[in-house]
Amino acid sequence: MGIVRVTLMCFLGSLLITASAWSAEIHGRSSTQLLWFNNEFIDERQFEAAEYLRVGITGIDKEKKLSLFGYGRFSQDLSNGEGLNGRLYYLFADYRDLYDKVDFKLGRQFVNLAAGSAIIDGIQVDLKNVGPVAFTLLGGRDVVFGLNGEIGNGSNADLGMAAYLTGFKQTDAEISWFRKWDHSDVARDVLGASVKQYLFNSVRVYGNVRFDLVSESFNEVQAGLKYYPISNLILTGEYYQSYPTFDTTSIYSVFAVNRYKEGVFRADYAINDRVSVNGGYSRQEYGEGETANVYRVGAWLRPIEGLRLNVEYDNRRGYYGSTNGVIVDADYEINRNAQVAAGFQYDVYERDALTREEIARRYWVGCKYRLNKKVAVSGRIQDDVNARFSENVTGRFVVDYDF
Amino acid sequence: MKKLFVCLLLAISVLYVKQASAQKQQHKEYADTKLSDCNNCHKSEGIAPNHDSDFVRSHRTFAGKAESNCSQCHNQSWCLDCHQGGGINADLSTATFGRDYIPKSHRSDFVNIHQLKAQDNPQTCYRCHDQKYCNACHARFPTGSLRIKSHLPSGSGQTFIWSGEHASEARRNLQSCQSCHPDGDVCLSCHSASSGGRINPHPKSFQGGNISSRTSKTCRVCH
Repeated sequence: MGIVRVTLMCFLGSLLITASAWSAEIHGRSSTQLLWFNNEFIDERQFEAAEYLRVGITGIDKEKKLSLFGYGRFSQDLSNGEGLNGRLYYLFADYRDLYDKVDFKLGRQFVNLAAGSAIIDGIQVDLKNVGPVAFTLLGGRDVVFGLNGEIGNGSNADLGMAAYLTGFKQTDAEISWFRKWDHSDVARDVLGASVKQYLFNSVRVYGNVRFDLVSESFNEVQAGLKYYPISNLILTGEYYQSYPTFDTTSIYSVFAVNRYKEGVFRADYAINDRVSVNGGYSRQEYGEGETANVYRVGAWLRPIEGLRLNVEYDNRRGYYGSTNGVIVDADYEINRNAQVAAGFQYDVYERDALTREEIARRYWVGCKYRLNKKVAVSGRIQDDVNARFSENVTGRFVVDYDF
Repeated sequence: MKKLFVCLLLAISVLYVKQASAQKQQHKEYADTKLSDCNNCHKSEGIAPNHDSDFVRSHRTFAGKAESNCSQCHNQSWCLDCHQGGGINADLSTATFGRDYIPKSHRSDFVNIHQLKAQDNPQTCYRCHDQKYCNACHARFPTGSLRIKSHLPSGSGQTFIWSGEHASEARRNLQSCQSCHPDGDVCLSCHSASSGGRINPHPKSFQGGNISSRTSKTCRVCH
């Protein structure tokens, strides 16, 4: 356990003591789970017990400006000797409205700017109510999760800052900068911008840009338009392009790459309260003449009260191979406390014209029962049948306790 | 033309000043509202319904810093269960890979299909997975054991499809090369200034100075 985590735990302890003094509100969820699956990384069946805990403590101080949020899990392998495993997703203190102008978040947290996102052990400061523009400054140790715990290096760090419009009802805009260090070398240096504008009560124009300062190229560009002439119809047109970039510490950062381009058109239409349909088409270009076409259609149905059906189909043809698949999910609320669900996926795919078509199928069933307002039990079991497995059963049994 | 531009600028400014006096709707009290009930209000306010069936692909724009209101209804755990493999919020339809719950985009037998799915916007994988995640799995396979078209022998001889196609393949999807060759040692056997074929791998607009000013390691690998 690193010094940062010990510090965070001490901080949590001291806050809990303070919280009890002011009768703070504590809420969250404990989820105790039994999991069984095929561990594909060691080719063994695995049986695990896991405990998730999500806690929010609000109103810790007298002015109710300080809150504490945490989320993590422990899992214990019971079959293959992989031992205890854990992830601390976040644990941060959130102090709002210092002088009505500053918000702080201190601790492990997920941060997201147009220029980049990360989990950091650090601080985020927001300066607000100083005019039509608000500011964010964030920084800390970069946290990276691997297959079995954290794999980030202690000296890897992130720093970001952003300025964004605030108080405009129909306009959002942000410009930001995000830098990542890898062992004291600058690994990433990115400028980002995003904008959303609502127009004429029926149009949203949006865009997102990331500019890589190292390669001096636009790493990502997204520009789109959503048109919703009536409340139950949305038409979307979007252009997207990306230029792969790598950490400067990677040798791949010096290699030539092609730009990927994509055009998307889709329509979402809710016919009535019981039927919604959607469809879309994407044209993808990979450079040097290689392209692919992707078609999607889907429907959401509620034929009788309590029963919901979701059907999705997609078809991709072109560069690198083809996929052709359908997803069907159904769930039925027997009553306010009981729910059953089932579904299957059927995918036909062919990679690179190397093999004949292969088929992958997934079948699953699940049920959930709420014992009372605070406790619910659920179970889910799925079986994958495909080119690699004639049977690959995965399951979970879960007891959730909300407090 | 100039007059038109000035008029447009003034019109936009007036629009902005008008907007500036309006505050965004707080959504905390609507957190438990059915999505189907959200649309009418959104439409009447001129705001596009934003939890449609395209949400997974499109939510990045809504979740941006500027006036993002996701946290009024969702905990950070809601984001991280998808992005970082947690599982406290999973509903019954959510599938599992190992101990991690996975988003719907990870279809049946995703191990075999992911190379294809990763082509649909190659940046998508890296929004949740670090490069090391790819290496951890790919490192399990003996060299040459994966079915990659450009790596296969051409006919029954000793020549490889790789010889003719790898340059184009690498330019289209260099990130996939990194999955099995994290240090690029295979590439450097030809693309190094100090040994091998000495074939220049840099793009035409290569900004080498920007790299060397940020790290001294990478350039020295070859120079």
